[in-house]
Amino acid sequence: MSEVSLLLHARAAGREILLPMTDLREVVAASPVAPLPGGPPGIQGVVLHQGEFLPVLDWAAVPGAGQPGPPKVLAVLRPRLGLPLEGLVGTPESPEGPWQDPDRDPWAPILAGLCRLGDRDLPVLDPDRLLALLHRLRSVR
Amino acid sequence: MDHSFDDVWAECEDLFAQARQRLATLKTPQPPHVMQASVNALFRATHTLKGMAGMLGFPRFSQAAHRMEDIFDLMRQGRLRSTDSLLETLESGIQALESGMAGLRRGRPEMDDYLHAIRRQLGELEALARPPEGAVLDLTALLDLPPDLLKSLSEYERTRVTAVLLAGIRIHGISVCLDLANFDDRLRSISEAAGAQGELISTLPLEMHDDRDGLFFLLLVAAPSLDVQGLGALPGESPEIMELGDPDRVPASLRADPGPLSPPPAADAPQAGAAPPLPQDVEVLRLPAHRVDALEARLMNVAQVRDSASQALRQLRDPGLEPPMAMMGEIEAGLLEVQKTLLQMRMVKVESLFQRIEPMVKSLSRDMGKPVRLSFQGGDLELERSLLGRLTEPFLHLVRNALDHGLESPSERVAQGKAETGSLRISASQRGRNLRFDIRDDGRGFDLARIEARGIAMGLLRPGQAHTSEDLHRLTLEPGFSTQERASQISGRGVGMDVVRAEVEGMGGEIQISSEPRRGSRVRLSLPLSRAVVGCLKVRCGSQAFGIPLSHVLRVQASSAALTGGDRIEVLGESLPMESLQACLGLPEPTGGQRFLVALRQQGAAAEAGLKLALGVDEVVGRTELLLRSLPELAHAPGIMGGSLQEEGILWVLDPEAVMSLAMDSLMRRVAGV
Repeated sequence: MSEVSLLLHARAAGREILLPMTDLREVVAASPVAPLPGGPPGIQGVVLHQGEFLPVLDWAAVPGAGQPGPPKVLAVLRPRLGLPLEGLVGTPESPEGPWQDPDRDPWAPILAGLCRLGDRDLPVLDPDRLLALLHRLRSVR
Repeated sequence: MDHSFDDVWAECEDLFAQARQRLATLKTPQPPHVMQASVNALFRATHTLKGMAGMLGFPRFSQAAHRMEDIFDLMRQGRLRSTDSLLETLESGIQALESGMAGLRRGRPEMDDYLHAIRRQLGELEALARPPEGAVLDLTALLDLPPDLLKSLSEYERTRVTAVLLAGIRIHGISVCLDLANFDDRLRSISEAAGAQGELISTLPLEMHDDRDGLFFLLLVAAPSLDVQGLGALPGESPEIMELGDPDRVPASLRADPGPLSPPPAADAPQAGAAPPLPQDVEVLRLPAHRVDALEARLMNVAQVRDSASQALRQLRDPGLEPPMAMMGEIEAGLLEVQKTLLQMRMVKVESLFQRIEPMVKSLSRDMGKPVRLSFQGGDLELERSLLGRLTEPFLHLVRNALDHGLESPSERVAQGKAETGSLRISASQRGRNLRFDIRDDGRGFDLARIEARGIAMGLLRPGQAHTSEDLHRLTLEPGFSTQERASQISGRGVGMDVVRAEVEGMGGEIQISSEPRRGSRVRLSLPLSRAVVGCLKVRCGSQAFGIPLSHVLRVQASSAALTGGDRIEVLGESLPMESLQACLGLPEPTGGQRFLVALRQQGAAAEAGLKLALGVDEVVGRTELLLRSLPELAHAPGIMGGSLQEEGILWVLDPEAVMSLAMDSLMRRVAGV
């Protein structure tokens, strides 16, 4: 039996993105974020998730990100980071074949590639690269 | 790692913890029945370890556990006296098994003989306990019991009867009639109560030919006297106490020869009726940690609902709602109590780590001929059980290093004008969100010139460059770094300093080393606590509440005039610099200054030493106890060690040491005008 790889298709920071389901812990309803005084760049604050504080990404810190709208849900990544999402589109299967190189995309530093869905190339977020970006932002503060 | 045997490994850890506790009991003067209960528990623990090792496929470990079990069997039969040297051998044996088990869990191969270090002592003990041929003494015939009951006594019970009679202790019988429906629970309860008054030797079923319904039992108990009320019998159970064995009936010739059978009477054994509580075997409930996690998370949700309900009630502003508000307060207090209890289930006292170190230090000190004065501080602090398991092996390695490489030989110390006995001090203290361990010795310190030369030879340092003391100390934590040409018998094998560092950093902690030539060394481990209950002063700045740990609060003071950062204020006759909390945390400062001040001091700092300053806040709310949750690494914010869920949202708990440092930075910026 071949393994089917699912993606979460969502809207965030004014654009549509894809997230491999394997990188997700769960998707929960958005709740107010408690801002953290003097918190690190790229983190807007924390929410309580399963009894622990969960850092929530500040899209504004991602280079090239548009103005984020009000979040409806929170995608909880495996490395325990919350991504505020403005909406969910679906959970498509990842098409066969390699993803395209995202080097011309403004979000390239945090992408695993561009995935062809229908007639569009959508950015696939790479959580490890996103974390690396957050660490870089902190180190230059 | 294969996790299929995680439960078995964990149970082995528990058994070792129990064994250490029982050995500690044997080291202090105790009534004979308490000593006997501890020896029995040790016998059972080693017996179970033997079986578990067999199940895990480690036959040599199983053999070693069997040998220790034999020694405890000889002790419980009274054939070995409990002496300091015997206890030392037993401690070394348990330590060797525990260390061997830890190695096996890490995937190391089986050792040929886990007990090789105490092989000679064990042989001597076994020879000492061997009875002379044909000289096995049995005094059970002195018991006032029918022959069929006497016949039913086991060899162990006969040995104990003989031993206690020789020790001059009476043997009593307690007969009880128990209801068939719950006789097992009742028998356990009465046996425990009898065992608390003396040594419970045997529990025998009785055949009674009368018209009473129920099951009859006879308990044989060795004690100077028994209190029937203390048995907790229920109406209808008809407990009766009778004297079955009188030590005065032991032939004088036998009494004159104490023989190897009886345990030594405790020097300060209390009188019957005032016996200390016997350590009971409590039922240990083993739960997967994720179930407790889920329970904590659920409790957190309930707390959030309570907070919302409380807020809704407040918004109604109805004076008639005061009673429900008071009830909400009670619910909050109850929730905090349950959360604290759940937290305690995860925690274990630091003392249990110290208990593992003490016998090893004694044994190493003797083997290496280096007398050492060992002291511990902070054993009452608590750390998470999961951390303790991971910390033990690195900790033991650091202590071994301190003894092997740090402390000099007695002659070398005397030649340097030091006391012949070295000093090893191990302390634990809570610093902010961290638990800090310091391991200090007064030995030779690190040879930095040698470390530098070795670092250059290994290509880890560049020749001709200046290297700080900190750099050189840190180099010893690099993989593969060693100044030892050959591994010594004690350290330099197995776990290296790089593995210690990896393990500590894997727990989110840090390791620091410092030393002074001929003055000694200090290894400091700082480990983050993920949860803790912290007594705090609750303050407010703008709309945000903060908690300041009371451990650092020197005084709370109101100023008649509004103060701003950089002003000075007199606190307890001392002029202290003042800085606004908002300035420390990068928040907008209040335009009109602040009138409420919290004087902070460094923890442990004496009144005349250490940094002190006054922190300006907008409002002081009061004292409170908070359940602190630490922040994940990604959300780490300077000056904040964690947060606590409150009715009005998350209250941030300050890290006072970090806040003081931020305040000093801010004050310096003010002076510099930047």
